[in-house]
Amino acid sequence: MIVAEKVYLKPITVDEAIRFAKKYAGSFRYIAGGTDVIVNKFQGNDASDCLIDITGIEELKKVIKDKKHIKIGSLVRLDDLKTHPEIRKLFPALLEAAHSVASPMLRKTATLGGNILCENRCMFYNQSEWWREAVGYCLKCDGEICIATGGKKNCFSKFVSDTAPVLIALNASLEIADGEKEYILPLEEIYSGDGMKPRLLGNSAIIKFINLPLAEEPSCVFKKLRPREAVDFTSLTTAVSKSIKGKIRIVLGGVDPKPILIEGMANEKDELIKQAIKKSRIVDNDTYSRPYRKEMISVFLEQSFEKLNPS
Amino acid sequence: MQVLKLTVNGKSHEVIVSEHEMLSNVIREKIGLTGTKIGCAQGSCGACTVLVNNEPVLSCITPALRFENAMITTVEGLAENGELHKLQEKFVEKGAIQCGFCTPGMVITALDHVNKHPNTSVHDIKEALSGNVCRCTGYKKIIEAVAEYSKEVQSLKSKVKSPEKTNNKQQTTNGTVGVGRPYIEATKKVQGIADYADDYRFKGALHVKFVRSIYPHAKILDIDTSDALKLQGVRYIATGKELPITFGVLPLSQDETAMAIDKTRYAGEIVAAVAADTEELAAHACKHIKVKYKPLKEFLSIDASLNDIGTAEKIHDTTKFNNNIHKKAELRFGDQQQGLKDAEIVSKMDFEMIGINHGFTEPHASCAVWDENGLTMISATQVTHYLHRALAKTMEVPLSRVRVIKPYLGGGFGGKSDPFAHEIIVAYLARKTGKPVKVCLTREEVFLNNHGRHPSKMTIHLGANKDGTLKVLDADIAIDGGAYGSFGVVTSYYNGVLLQAPYKLNNFGFRTYRVYTNKPQCGAMRGHGAVNSRFAVESLIDDISHRIKMDPVELRMKNFLDSNTLTVGQYRITSNGSRESLQKVADQSDWKNKHGKMPTGHGYGVACGFFISGSALPIIWNELPQSVVHLKVDFDGRVLIASGANDIGQGSDTMLAIIVAEVLGISMDKTFVIAADTLITPVDFGSYSSRVTFMAGNAAKDAAENLRKEIADAVALRITNGDELRMKDLIEEINFSNNKVFSNDKTINLTWDEAIEILVAKRGAVNVSGKYISPKLGGDFKGAGAGLSPSYSFGACVAEVKVDTETGHVKILNVWGAHDCGKALNPLAVEGQLEGSWHMGIGQAISEEMVYYNGLLVNNNFLDYKIPTSLDTPDIHTHIIETMDPEGPFGAKETGEGAIHPVLPAIANAVYDAVGIRITKLPIKAEEVLRLLKEKKSKKEVAI
Repeated sequence: MIVAEKVYLKPITVDEAIRFAKKYAGSFRYIAGGTDVIVNKFQGNDASDCLIDITGIEELKKVIKDKKHIKIGSLVRLDDLKTHPEIRKLFPALLEAAHSVASPMLRKTATLGGNILCENRCMFYNQSEWWREAVGYCLKCDGEICIATGGKKNCFSKFVSDTAPVLIALNASLEIADGEKEYILPLEEIYSGDGMKPRLLGNSAIIKFINLPLAEEPSCVFKKLRPREAVDFTSLTTAVSKSIKGKIRIVLGGVDPKPILIEGMANEKDELIKQAIKKSRIVDNDTYSRPYRKEMISVFLEQSFEKLNPS
Repeated sequence: MQVLKLTVNGKSHEVIVSEHEMLSNVIREKIGLTGTKIGCAQGSCGACTVLVNNEPVLSCITPALRFENAMITTVEGLAENGELHKLQEKFVEKGAIQCGFCTPGMVITALDHVNKHPNTSVHDIKEALSGNVCRCTGYKKIIEAVAEYSKEVQSLKSKVKSPEKTNNKQQTTNGTVGVGRPYIEATKKVQGIADYADDYRFKGALHVKFVRSIYPHAKILDIDTSDALKLQGVRYIATGKELPITFGVLPLSQDETAMAIDKTRYAGEIVAAVAADTEELAAHACKHIKVKYKPLKEFLSIDASLNDIGTAEKIHDTTKFNNNIHKKAELRFGDQQQGLKDAEIVSKMDFEMIGINHGFTEPHASCAVWDENGLTMISATQVTHYLHRALAKTMEVPLSRVRVIKPYLGGGFGGKSDPFAHEIIVAYLARKTGKPVKVCLTREEVFLNNHGRHPSKMTIHLGANKDGTLKVLDADIAIDGGAYGSFGVVTSYYNGVLLQAPYKLNNFGFRTYRVYTNKPQCGAMRGHGAVNSRFAVESLIDDISHRIKMDPVELRMKNFLDSNTLTVGQYRITSNGSRESLQKVADQSDWKNKHGKMPTGHGYGVACGFFISGSALPIIWNELPQSVVHLKVDFDGRVLIASGANDIGQGSDTMLAIIVAEVLGISMDKTFVIAADTLITPVDFGSYSSRVTFMAGNAAKDAAENLRKEIADAVALRITNGDELRMKDLIEEINFSNNKVFSNDKTINLTWDEAIEILVAKRGAVNVSGKYISPKLGGDFKGAGAGLSPSYSFGACVAEVKVDTETGHVKILNVWGAHDCGKALNPLAVEGQLEGSWHMGIGQAISEEMVYYNGLLVNNNFLDYKIPTSLDTPDIHTHIIETMDPEGPFGAKETGEGAIHPVLPAIANAVYDAVGIRITKLPIKAEEVLRLLKEKKSKKEVAI
């Protein structure tokens, strides 16, 4: 045989999945929808021999409402979010964000959990093996330097989930299972900001539920910059929420290796926008230029504030 | 390996699959249902969509093992017993199928949508189909088909009488010309049983993968294949030295070899080829081939290649000077310098257009077999004839030992019209190994093959009088040809010569430089050569009309050439529907009340176009007719139409049948078309330069007329018992209509079958031929042959756009288009061609571009190369203009390419109308719009 033994496993419980993960700890990948991982695999950016397909875990496909939260199973498909009246009623911005991901068919396979864990992207990284060899392998694929920045030693691959910015703006937290322990973490805390390894989760960790708190009833505005009205990954995603008490959470995607979170009060608009731009580490790794994306941050945020606080 | 149980289209299967195998592979290769197509292998085009447990799934990116015991429905399983599902029927009836490659995925996606959303709307249908790429139709007819199907489903459910159903199924016996009808092969395509090049299966076939250069320009020092050859299952590895014979589509620039020999001229050029038992193994072996390079200075831009290169090495040592200029084309009529001095108003602009790719949905694929008959190649090609010649040349065998067959083809648009390296390599490997050899390119490789539209830089002067009369045009153009010649010499001329109409211009000149650069080569693409320069001229006209405060429609009307006239470069203009086209789009768009009258950010623009209807001169000079058609009729009464013309999804097979049926007065079901098989069909030069309807159509008409004569002679002879005088009179009286052969006085009153019985009596099957030879045209100066055509097409577009002044984003709301196609032989197909042209033009105008980084193509896939989705495509309003060309078959001329020209400048001119900025770079990028808006604002402030 010319290639290493490949394995495909379909656990039906979280525990089983984690057991498998431990067994194949050296070279495995969980896949939910798989729409992201499989393409990366084709391009040689994922060489794991073992795929653990978690789509058979029924428990993670539920949406549950308790007193404080709506708990969305991580395996709820993006397209299915809209079938839940509670989500539709309380979190329309999440539906908008989910609906802006990729194309209708992909949304019928891709899951909410998968989307928030979507691999960071860069035009020098999401390429075939031949291409990456020809360009001289960037940092993210075992090279020496970041090509997008012309030689920096950090990876600035961009964070491209569209749902995560909205979820963070809405104070979402995650229920995570990792071996024997289960814990809850604010969503924004799983992102490292390092494009090489953008997420801080343990290798075998599985997100079980995404919990959206009900108490604050924030309103939220979602926007996405992309050349076409379908299919495209984001070049800039903004989500701005405002709680009834006037607390603002601004979250940006597509402009940094992690989602950028800025918090403040509704009357601090200008200052918050300034901060948001300052915090974004945008590099030229996208179809839109760096200055344009930067400029659009303020345009999108101004428009979002306008919508939240109609003057 | 694992056993997987599946039920596919109601039948259970147990298949052995490998752990990480995709569902698409299982369906196509293990179960043998090739209706499921692979267009991009990354989930961006939708061609692979199947239903799994009643949910649509992109089978090319979904592991098969996910679906143990699943119920799978592929396009082949939508209906039983050879029947069509109602939605499939709608696709056929509405002309929603052209090349048919996206059709299986499109039908499945649409069906799932309507099943789950019975009360869908047009917007929701667009939304639902936005992940399925169609490059042929502009989505319009697809959306219509789905919308009508959903309405019918609803009315059935509510038991309301279904809307009046048009019955296209009856075989009209009379007047086939001018009746809109689906393609003759549409049913096969919608069922997923039409075989494309990669759907053919050969016993023991080997698969090929390529090692490609990682440098844009480099000496090859060494290629070490020893490790790769040791792998079990690797059958042969070829390198460039084994295939030293050059080829190229034009005799003038045979500058390419199948693989790089001493040096590589672009990143992605093939350096070695592996034939192995499986595709996976061939790919694996490629990784074990070590190539040593010595990089050379690379030339990546037009400017770098125009300049003297000093001591660096040229891309091709055959070029004349110490630079990388491949071709200079220049023609001048009158004195442009003087003309520009004399003109009362001059507009001058610099333009810069980036390269774009055809983006057909079917990747290139070929298979080659050698046997006692020599080489047989099945290949996705637009031009079997030139491939035939190139294979004979490079394989060093007589033309009589090569057979090229074009199967169903998933779109071409110019991108399958050259002979390609991979075709020559598989032919060679098949001979070397004695086995059938197959190749199917990845989408990235398709982009590396390119041959797409040349990037260009232009400086153009247009001079006019204040009354709006155009006086002088001078164009200075440079185009980026990439590493090889392809059609480039023709492209160089077309950039200039095709500007001499549709407006009267007595003082006209141009100069084009085509340069070699170290990038994948550029070639012919829909609207070949003139799309970018047409954009420039129509923008200048718009500018002049604004400056002299004349309505741009009026200015154009004032300057149009008439019918039956010569241009300054001696093009013979016969039929000319410019005026009618422009009037139509102005009326339909309510131009007078809209242009210049909308609020800021909202605008209307107009432009016109002009194109050849077939090149009058062959690419390889010879005295063959441009096209020959054979007809055979035997005792069964069916007329076999044999033509070398390549149906690439544009409907040319159907066109041939329509013409023959019309001439013979028979129904379409008495015809049968066999096309583009160089052994069986007579030579046709192929599908390029919009020549097929005009040339193959005329040949078919000629053949049918000859057959009619044969039949009339035989029938008259029988009735008159050989009385020559009576015979002569009678022959003149014979009519062919309604499947009957009869004289007005009913002396003769035969059914078609009876007449054929008389024809074949004592003689057997009858074969007749027809041909088309272009008349001698043009002047006697050097370069006079470029752009000569027996006829020309004309057209116009109006576009309506909205410009977001905060983001710079341009949204196209409507396109009204009108195109003079002479006579629409098949109006349904003509509309489809027009809508597809406009859609492709919209793509180049707003989102498509080939972006390079150090000579490496960055956006080499359908995610990053932005073909407009159904949601990005505006409402398109289609108008066919008929002018009855005197030489076209039943008055017909081209329709596949010319329509693209006006749509791009119409959009840019609409942007001007909306926000007052002039677009000189394509695609129109939001950030460029924003930059221009700011520039305009600051100028205004300075002025204040």
